[in-house]
Amino acid sequence: MIRNYIKIAWRNIVKYRFYSAVNVLGLFAGISFALLIGAYIWSELQVNRQLRKSKNQYILTTISTDPNIGYELATFGPIAKRLKEDYPNLIANYYRYDGITSVVSKGDKHFREGLQVGDSTMLKMYGLKVLYGDAQTALNNPFSVVITEDKAKKYFGKTNVVGETVSIQSFSGGDHAFTVTAVLKELPKNSITNLAKDYPNNFFVSLNAMTYFGRRGIDDWGNMFIASYVEVKDGVTARDIAGPIRQLVEQNVNAQLKKLITVKPVLLSDYYLQQDNGLVKRMLYTLSFVGAFILLMAIVNFINIAISRSGSRLKEIGIRKVLGSLRKQLISQFLTESIILVFVATILALVAYPFLGTLFVQLVGQEVPALYDFPAYFIFLPVVLIIVVGVAAGLYPAFALSAMKSVDSLKGKLKTAKDKILLRKSLVGFQFIIALVVLISAGIVTQQVSYFFSQNLGYDKEFIVSAQAPRDWTPAGVQKMQTIRNEFAKLPEVSNVSLSYEIPNGNNGGQIGAFPYGSDSTKAIALQVLSSDEYYLATYRISLKAGDFLKSTGNIDSSKVVLNEKAVKGLGWKNDEAINQKVKFFGDNTAYTVAGVVSDFHFGSMQQEVPPVVFLNVTRTTSYRFLSFKLKPGNVSGAINAIQNKWSTLLPGTSFEYTFMDDTLKKIYANELQLKRSAYMATCLALIIVFLGVLGLVSLSIHKRIREIGIRKVLGASLPHLIGLFAREFTFIVIAAGLVACPIGWYLMNGWLNNYAYRISIGSQPFIIAILTIVVFTMLLVGLQVVSTVKDNVVKNLKTE
Amino acid sequence: MLELKGIYKWVNTGNNRLFLLKDVDLSVKPGEFISIMGPSGSGKSTLLNVIGMLDTFDQGEYTFLHEPVHKLREKQRSGLYKQYIGFVFQAYHLIDELTVYENIETPLIYQDIKTSERKAMVADMLDRFQIVGKKDLFPTQLSGGQQQLVGIARALIAKPKLLLADEPTGNLNSKQGEEIMGLFKELNNEGVTIIQVTHSEKNAGYGTRIINLLDGMIQNN
Repeated sequence: MIRNYIKIAWRNIVKYRFYSAVNVLGLFAGISFALLIGAYIWSELQVNRQLRKSKNQYILTTISTDPNIGYELATFGPIAKRLKEDYPNLIANYYRYDGITSVVSKGDKHFREGLQVGDSTMLKMYGLKVLYGDAQTALNNPFSVVITEDKAKKYFGKTNVVGETVSIQSFSGGDHAFTVTAVLKELPKNSITNLAKDYPNNFFVSLNAMTYFGRRGIDDWGNMFIASYVEVKDGVTARDIAGPIRQLVEQNVNAQLKKLITVKPVLLSDYYLQQDNGLVKRMLYTLSFVGAFILLMAIVNFINIAISRSGSRLKEIGIRKVLGSLRKQLISQFLTESIILVFVATILALVAYPFLGTLFVQLVGQEVPALYDFPAYFIFLPVVLIIVVGVAAGLYPAFALSAMKSVDSLKGKLKTAKDKILLRKSLVGFQFIIALVVLISAGIVTQQVSYFFSQNLGYDKEFIVSAQAPRDWTPAGVQKMQTIRNEFAKLPEVSNVSLSYEIPNGNNGGQIGAFPYGSDSTKAIALQVLSSDEYYLATYRISLKAGDFLKSTGNIDSSKVVLNEKAVKGLGWKNDEAINQKVKFFGDNTAYTVAGVVSDFHFGSMQQEVPPVVFLNVTRTTSYRFLSFKLKPGNVSGAINAIQNKWSTLLPGTSFEYTFMDDTLKKIYANELQLKRSAYMATCLALIIVFLGVLGLVSLSIHKRIREIGIRKVLGASLPHLIGLFAREFTFIVIAAGLVACPIGWYLMNGWLNNYAYRISIGSQPFIIAILTIVVFTMLLVGLQVVSTVKDNVVKNLKTE
Repeated sequence: MLELKGIYKWVNTGNNRLFLLKDVDLSVKPGEFISIMGPSGSGKSTLLNVIGMLDTFDQGEYTFLHEPVHKLREKQRSGLYKQYIGFVFQAYHLIDELTVYENIETPLIYQDIKTSERKAMVADMLDRFQIVGKKDLFPTQLSGGQQQLVGIARALIAKPKLLLADEPTGNLNSKQGEEIMGLFKELNNEGVTIIQVTHSEKNAGYGTRIINLLDGMIQNN
């Protein structure tokens, strides 16, 4: 029986090649997308789960009620170690590190790299795979370093480099050779080596080197910037260790801080999904929804075409019934057909997976695992998919068609034609709604993203290049950098250069509480500190509202500060009043004088309000990170080369790793850009599927009315008339779908935009464009098909009786 | 009214060329009622379709109301037949989804005639064929003779100069057939030129001239 089903099903599929192809293509698009999304979600869920004993691995995070104090990713230096010492029956192991960046050199290769100066327990605790070297002893000596496979290739061009040395710069400008003691196999994404996004660490140095780098002691309770992890013993839960943690904090942290801060252990396997307010989780949810809807659209397509075709199958059904086929057998036959189609589509999707995977990487910027990366039992997944989708798609047509009375079927009469048309129209309408919502969303996301990069930043991002300067955080070091700055400024290709700790990338050194001199310190507001030289204003073209900017040359008064308008307002002044007012900062007895006021500018993501900002003189803070270059418009690559050459003479032994301001912004808005690309991809797919559906329906509709077309043509109908005949029903559906989709799109996107302090207002444009796109494409599809039909001989069409 | 000169139409089957029409010369004057006769496959319908510009020909010249049809573009040709030619088919070819009224109205829509004017014209036509009571019925609710009446009404609605009928009574019983032919005679008397394809000598008798066709060639005239 089953062989007979398959044979008949196959013949039907081949006989109606066009519809089969439309079906398979639609399903292929839907299934491919679902596979990619599924694979991506699976790989994101795997993060931190491949670590040894991942169910026992916790990270200690800091939750603070005061945004100015504490750093979520890190906590008090000694806490993890003390936990292990004081509660050996709860804690199996711990790992802490101080995350820094420094310049690593080998020969003439100098690169800025992320380093972890941490406990020697790291390799064993997480079961990281060591390619060369000894995991037990690798991090025992102060000047030993463990590196990843990738970095070994980068510096040495090979992977077995145990015993070789690289030199790593200290923060006071010194260089020291570190011996490579182990090489790690390339690590999958995890929250140990890649805790802070965009700052992967691939160099691991022993804690003994803390003094070399001049870092504050890791065992100092005042050091709150140590990333800390613990591994609990089997059966111990987060609740079990919460008490001991609280107790340790209670005993060692000063009273004021204690009130503000809680140290919370989070299971590493949850941590990745939850970090940044569940950003990853939300993204995964969004993607799953999109994936599910696209797949649903493909299934709807299938159902739609199956129902539309039912007319031509009725006679077959009638004859089968008369010949004694049971309803059950008819259902099986139809289901066999749909399962075969889904099977073909799934196989195609699997074959195309590697190619589409690379496309996905390019479009969405996320790696998807290769097919062989999946565990073996995943092989059942496509099988389940084929059966579920096949049955889901085939069920309705199978039941609806097999339920017809045999006499009616024989006559080829669809008694309930009206209902079916309504159902078909609603199904197409449903597809249009999804496509419209996706299209509208893509439009609005695009508008908001381009708003991020528009001229409203408050500074001029064009032709700005920034590069990290080697550290020497001493007054002499700052002086030296300023001299170097002056040298760079002499380059004819450069219009301005500024030395600063911050660039507008959202990361700043910290905040301070500030209050007007003579007033109550409880009235303090938190100011973001930007330390810079006097050229910052000119380099970034920020406008000065009152007074003067900082002076870092000549007769310097380093107690002068500059505020932005927000800060001035926060301190209770007007722009002009603020000049020469005195401010005080927490923990600093100096009375600072306000020298000037600058306009507000977007220092970080537009998600947050522009913060109140205070500019401190870099000669006072003596810490700097960046040199920002404002290039003269014109030959940009020439200018970069000129700076590069100058850099190697002025700062030998360091690398000029530059970033354009646009790229810096792209990093800030990485998630939004990813969302935008995903939205584009989803839009493409939704459109493809919708138009495949429309294609199928129009062609069926034309096929059914081919005689009518003939008659009408004989009666003098022109081409536009005929196109209008078929376009009319779709126009109605598109309008109805638009009425539903617009509010949904508005609601969803308004919710999304509400995440941003600075957002576009939703205009009518995205809605109109979305609807027009659908209308135009639909008309085009209808038009093309009608034209190709009408071109055929009218007389031939009329004979179709 | 129209003139065919040396019309050839053929299809290629393998190496053979199969002639559907072979050197057809025909000239029709206004007011004529011509019957084309001949056995099945002799090219009657093909000739009618060529005259009605529904079908093309491969060689020859066709002048319709002084217009060289073979030189016209598709659009001009369609304009020509929209205005001057009406068709009646053996299988009626009514649009099942439209009512009697709407079926008759359709050609007027394609000629961009205003709604009020269309209403008057259709009402006039319904009245003339005494099918006012049936105007809201669908074709499937009518008998064959009634359907053909609607078909003829539809063909005449745009006041064509030439009426082409392809076996108009072929699907009807003899009584209905006689009625239809009587109607044709009446129309002819009113000045409409008619060309019909028919099998029946009796029907041909209503006409003023008979053309016999055999294997795509005109036998006598």
